[in-house]
Amino acid sequence: MDQFTILRLDCVGSTMVEAQDKPPGTVIVAEEQTAGQGRMGRSWYSPRGAGLYCSIVLEPAQPAPVLTLALGLATKEAIERTASIGCDLRWPNDVLIAERKVAGVLVQLQEDKVIAGIGINVNHARFPAELASLATSLRLVTGVEYSRELLLANLLDSVECYCELLESEGSAVILRLFAQASSYVSGRRVLVDEVAGVTDGLDPSGFLWIRADNGRRLLVRAGNVRPR
Amino acid sequence: MTLEEIKQLVQVVIESGVAELEVTRGENRVRIRRTARSAAQEMVLPPAAAMPPAASAPNPSPAPHAEAAAAAPAADESLSYVKSPIVGTFYEAPAPDAPPFVRVGERVTPGQVLCIIESMKLMNEIEAEIAGTIVARLVENGSPVEYGEALFAIRPD
Repeated sequence: MDQFTILRLDCVGSTMVEAQDKPPGTVIVAEEQTAGQGRMGRSWYSPRGAGLYCSIVLEPAQPAPVLTLALGLATKEAIERTASIGCDLRWPNDVLIAERKVAGVLVQLQEDKVIAGIGINVNHARFPAELASLATSLRLVTGVEYSRELLLANLLDSVECYCELLESEGSAVILRLFAQASSYVSGRRVLVDEVAGVTDGLDPSGFLWIRADNGRRLLVRAGNVRPR
Repeated sequence: MTLEEIKQLVQVVIESGVAELEVTRGENRVRIRRTARSAAQEMVLPPAAAMPPAASAPNPSPAPHAEAAAAAPAADESLSYVKSPIVGTFYEAPAPDAPPFVRVGERVTPGQVLCIIESMKLMNEIEAEIAGTIVARLVENGSPVEYGEALFAIRPD
């Protein structure tokens, strides 16, 4: 993809919905979302002017699940370049600072098109009580406000870069980069939904191995990975 | 339909791995639906593991249950099967507390969303390609599916 076309909207339900019928290369950015989407019907807190809420329409040569790991890496890199702070990745693609979620990535596959929804908490001064212990923003971490424009430019750069890397080098390199960038890939005590265990690396598709406390080795394809 | 026949149908459902089956005979109609699995529903054993699948494993059983499978819709050549384009987890609804996209017995039209297959937060909405009636849902909500695994059986209009 040579160039992105950015469509700026004020208040939308969800950028994911706005992106549905758009051609590859389109980026929908909104000031505010009233129904920001998370995984499995969950919401993404999207107050006006505080975060970067965008959906990017991509057309990868092979839309594979490993793309979601690449998008997590791209989001982490964009945040690190913009705010000069280190982030962690929680499988498959939550971006964390000090164990609190600063960005989330949700990907929808539509035939050959992929819609990547990326939400980054940038200048939030506070979160509602139910999110306060789970979420953070760049501003809350550093005390500084950041330009969402610069962050978007960095994000699109990184997304393009990682998508090209995936296409030219294949998924193995993405898996290696992810394993280096994420403290969650191995040796981490986690709870996956109701199963407790220790993470034990990625399989060739990017799925997460868990050595469960009951002795079984399990492969997680989808689910909530949480520390314990 | 006699109690004995219903018992036989239940047995077919158990042995074949079909998640939901509806049979109409004259004015009688019976729908058998396996209950959702709990706990480790998003986990799968590695393919290489020698352990037999748990009793509630939803995978359509291969050879050992060939006889039962033959009686289940899985063997009906007049049916059209919706298959998973990716390895992932099957969800019958857009959210845990939302109603399923479709139920057995419902008529569907091309382009209608039937389910979601999630693979590492890659959400793949599976649509009907033909018009017809859903006669069986072949996997349970929240269970792992393989590439090419049949998800629904549709009787074309």
